[in-house]
Amino acid sequence: MAGWEYRNASRSRWVIGTAVAFALLCLAVSLLGLRSLRELGLSGVGPASAALINLGILLPALMGLLLGGNALVAAREQGVLPMIAVQPVSRSSLVLGPFLGVSAALAVSVLLGFGVAAVVLSGVARRSDVMPLTALVGSTLAVAVTCVAIGLGVSAVSRSRLQATSTAITLWFMLALGMDLVLAAAAPAVRMGPAGLLVAVVSNPLEAGRVLALLGSSSDGTALGPFGAYLVESFGSGGAAAILAGSLVFWTLAPLVLARWVLSRGDL
Amino acid sequence: MPEQPAVRVTNVSKRYGRRAPTLRDINLAVEPGTIVTLAGSNGSGKSTLLRCIAGLARFIGVIEVRSHDVRADGGFRGEVGYLPQSVAFPPQSTVDETLAFFAQLRGTGDVALPLPDGFLPARSALVGTLSGGQRQRLAMAIALLGNPAVLLLDEPVSNLDESGRESVWTMLCELKATGTTALIASPSPADLAGIGDRTVVLHEGRIVDDREQVAS
Repeated sequence: MAGWEYRNASRSRWVIGTAVAFALLCLAVSLLGLRSLRELGLSGVGPASAALINLGILLPALMGLLLGGNALVAAREQGVLPMIAVQPVSRSSLVLGPFLGVSAALAVSVLLGFGVAAVVLSGVARRSDVMPLTALVGSTLAVAVTCVAIGLGVSAVSRSRLQATSTAITLWFMLALGMDLVLAAAAPAVRMGPAGLLVAVVSNPLEAGRVLALLGSSSDGTALGPFGAYLVESFGSGGAAAILAGSLVFWTLAPLVLARWVLSRGDL
Repeated sequence: MPEQPAVRVTNVSKRYGRRAPTLRDINLAVEPGTIVTLAGSNGSGKSTLLRCIAGLARFIGVIEVRSHDVRADGGFRGEVGYLPQSVAFPPQSTVDETLAFFAQLRGTGDVALPLPDGFLPARSALVGTLSGGQRQRLAMAIALLGNPAVLLLDEPVSNLDESGRESVWTMLCELKATGTTALIASPSPADLAGIGDRTVVLHEGRIVDDREQVAS
């Protein structure tokens, strides 16, 4: 089933279009980052990778939420899900198939975009840039896969494609911007310490992915300021990475379990 | 010992949300090798009854397909072929890929079908280029994969031309001779005259008539 879902997702004009758009944006960000490097007389890929972190976390997350969000509800509306569900396959396969297939198609899109960036940046990259860039790609893939799972959860409980799409977009705004804004406004008022900030970060898979990528770019946490210092001091860089990765695993598994439960109990 | 019904529906009711019940206390036993027409106006519950038997909708009561309890025992799925009222397969796939995918799910590598030559569109054609009738032919072919013992067909000929209808009726007669059971929802049961063994008429979720069809 995963192969079927992958083939259909990767042939979809929407996926191809967003993959090309992501690759072009990665290219543009890399070229702009390179220009900044030259103007400032810096070496390495720092400014480019900082911009790529935001691009890599935000766009694939939106793609994951939308693709996952449409996967089940569209198949149900089109009558394909009932035809699959009457075959001798488990209810778990109805969720895992689209999850693995759509995640794989999205991963190929992400790797294509970063591949373009890597080609552009390869001329100026130093050996020490390899780890941060690898952490960036890994975090982006993890966030994208997590968002596919969240999208599938949305898809399972939605009654129409329109509802699933609007919920996915709203969720993306909340995760990408809304929670940051609330946090920026509320943190000083409630005197939120670094522990409270950590809870807020692991509650938001996009933020967890972003912090994971930044932690990968400087294992001592300096790229994250005082919060990074708190993370490394309290948990060590490996422990902090494990907490953040654990948060992404949770945000992947929880919606998949929800989707499985809904499909096994509801009408298909 | 008398043969078990291929499908047994006992005290089945179904309600979508807070709306009026779609099915009310349905009781039905279908003997193996018979073709039953489910008749009734739009919204009478024909499609919902088929969906309940296929295990696609929750219900109150008991449904058994070839002695498998639909709610408790997923083993019935290998015995059922289901054709929904309308289906739109992924447009980027070919007919062949779609058939192969469902054959794989069915656990049969064989996509040989009891359908006449020319019934299916070209195997290399993209599903997105097919007409409504051709898509329905493909869906019918998928419902027949693996020679299921029980066919649940929801308005199987609604989009088909005359030759397509003829092929479906001929195929059903041949399958019936081999012991296949079929429940066919149709708003115009006269189409099945001479093919169906029995007509069950639903109205507002209740069976209001159940009679043998006289061979013409």
